[in-house]
Amino acid sequence: MNLNGLLKRTTIADKILLSILILLSFSGIIFVKKVLPASRTVQIEANGSLVYVLPIDKDRTVSVEGPEGRTVVEIKNHRLRVTESPCHNKLCMKQGWIESGAIVCLPNKVVVTIGDHEDEINKIVDAITG
Amino acid sequence: MRDKSKVESLKVTKSNPPTPPFTKGGRGGITKVLLFTFYFLLLTFLCACTSHKERIYRKSKILMDTFVTITVVSNSENSAGKAIDNAFSEIERLEKLSNFFSSESEVSRINKNAGILEVKVSPDILDILDKALYVSEKTEGAFDVTIGPVITLYDFHKKIKPEESAVKKNLSLVNYRELIIDRNKSAAFLKKRGMLIDLGGISKGYAADKAVEALKRNRINSGLVSVAGDIKAFGLKPDGKPWKIGIRNPRIPPNPPLVKGGKGGFSDDVMATIELNDMAISTSGDYERCFILDGKRYHHLLSPKTGYPAEGCQSVSVITKECAFTDAFATGIFILGPGKGLKVLGKMGFDGIIVDSQGKVHTTPNIRGKFEFKRTS
Amino acid sequence: MQLQDKYRIALLSAYALALHGFESLLPTPIPWLRLGLANIITLITLFLYGIRAAIMVTLIRVILSSIFTGTFLGPAFILSLGGGVASTLAMGSVLSIAPRLFSTIGLSLIGALFHNIAQLFLAYFLFIQRIEAILLISPLIILIGTVTGTVNGVVSDLVIKNLKKTYQKIQN
Repeated sequence: MNLNGLLKRTTIADKILLSILILLSFSGIIFVKKVLPASRTVQIEANGSLVYVLPIDKDRTVSVEGPEGRTVVEIKNHRLRVTESPCHNKLCMKQGWIESGAIVCLPNKVVVTIGDHEDEINKIVDAITG
Repeated sequence: MRDKSKVESLKVTKSNPPTPPFTKGGRGGITKVLLFTFYFLLLTFLCACTSHKERIYRKSKILMDTFVTITVVSNSENSAGKAIDNAFSEIERLEKLSNFFSSESEVSRINKNAGILEVKVSPDILDILDKALYVSEKTEGAFDVTIGPVITLYDFHKKIKPEESAVKKNLSLVNYRELIIDRNKSAAFLKKRGMLIDLGGISKGYAADKAVEALKRNRINSGLVSVAGDIKAFGLKPDGKPWKIGIRNPRIPPNPPLVKGGKGGFSDDVMATIELNDMAISTSGDYERCFILDGKRYHHLLSPKTGYPAEGCQSVSVITKECAFTDAFATGIFILGPGKGLKVLGKMGFDGIIVDSQGKVHTTPNIRGKFEFKRTS
Repeated sequence: MQLQDKYRIALLSAYALALHGFESLLPTPIPWLRLGLANIITLITLFLYGIRAAIMVTLIRVILSSIFTGTFLGPAFILSLGGGVASTLAMGSVLSIAPRLFSTIGLSLIGALFHNIAQLFLAYFLFIQRIEAILLISPLIILIGTVTGTVNGVVSDLVIKNLKKTYQKIQN
């Protein structure tokens, strides 16, 4: 087999092309791994503006400031809960751990949602009254 | 195949590929095939370029002290976002005018000048008051925005219920007939000192109507606005089906759900679904703002006759074109009770679902077409 | 001579079809992991008979194989067609414009690259309108294409060299 001869006949253009392609595909893979849009995200809004967009797979604790004080959200094991909130009835805290959907603290104007776009669309009902 | 003729036609060298044997005027066949392929690919490419897929976009915000979600169908994230933001601004504008607890709102100005002088109001407030009075008449006074003085006696957070004497005293200030509006001057006047109007039973529905108008002005043809549980739907979803609304089961969970109109967590249990075709729906329930004291449930739907929470229903849902009306009538009919309530629905030509205090479900006759009942208990 | 060349085109197309069929028997976890063995035939045809013949072979292969598998005019057919034509045209153009610039390996890489790019484009416009999904798999597909392109290029070169040797032997 003439592999040696072939190696000699590879032109510079070949080598350039090969290196470009390898570089392109590897950097593409790394870039895509970083962005990874498909993972579920946690969105925390306070006072009408989006404060945090976090992936659900990293455990952490964050807090946001609302008109009544500080609401603290804990993310752990792909779930989240509200551990502290200045509201009167602490309903948001009583919800406990959630894996999808949302927790809202109305008095402190904090909204914590899980899930991506498609999740919400595929629900059976589009809204709930009552 | 190793014959001499083959060798002649095969003069292959690396650097000099031969001209193909088929050069003479391109034997019709090949050119035709090539052209066909080219045109075919071009055609499919062009067809694909012109299709704009319509998708559903949804955004939520806390406004009017509740959870507001606006859903639209659009072929671009940009136009969807702009339309939704405009609709939110419209709701914010209405909130400023109607907020009971803000001293700058028009409602507060009317209340402060009760028994003193009339107050000039914006067209929206005039419209709301006009509609409120209309509903008051049609519900025999069960819906009454002048309930303000009585409702302020209750504190649903601190679980405080008022003394009987206080209720009796303030009850005399509740009378929708003493709210005078002048359409020509665009003004409103409360005749007695101490009267207070609270638009909480109609402003959310009205806001939903106005938000939908804002969306339509922004060239959205299909969408859903839900201000807490007051929902207005228009147009069809991308799959051609109408919007599907779930009606909450008033007894699951037994205590107030976290957020009225919110989705998520364990607190959603839907007892029925209904498809809305350019209609609005509102639900009034005894579980929304309430507390239980000494075994009795005190909720926020107070009867203007007794000053105490109305008994007779667990929840009432009303369906008609305008959300301002579904909001106000749901409140009024809840207070009237199932018997009179169904009659009012019939007279007004609305659809409705009433869950009475025993848990029995009554619906208007026409509704059965688009309504699906899912109750498990 | 035209008749004989016609036979050869037919034969090469048959080889391409056979290789394609063989390739489809190989179990792969990933649906797009195609070895592109038929590209070897395309490359050889290009070298021996030029661009027109190569296009013919490609078209025959794509159309016939899709008819045989019952996917004619379906999405797989369109993707195959787009990829095959794009890669053949690309390789052929490079050969006519700058015949000495690339070796068979380089040409095969170009063919694989254009094949994949054309398929990604077609997939996006016609089937999956979500650009995120397409962007997500493109780097991987290009990487696989690079690897298979290299291998195919080596194989093609060996075959062409062998053929050359055979003919030279015959000539002598």
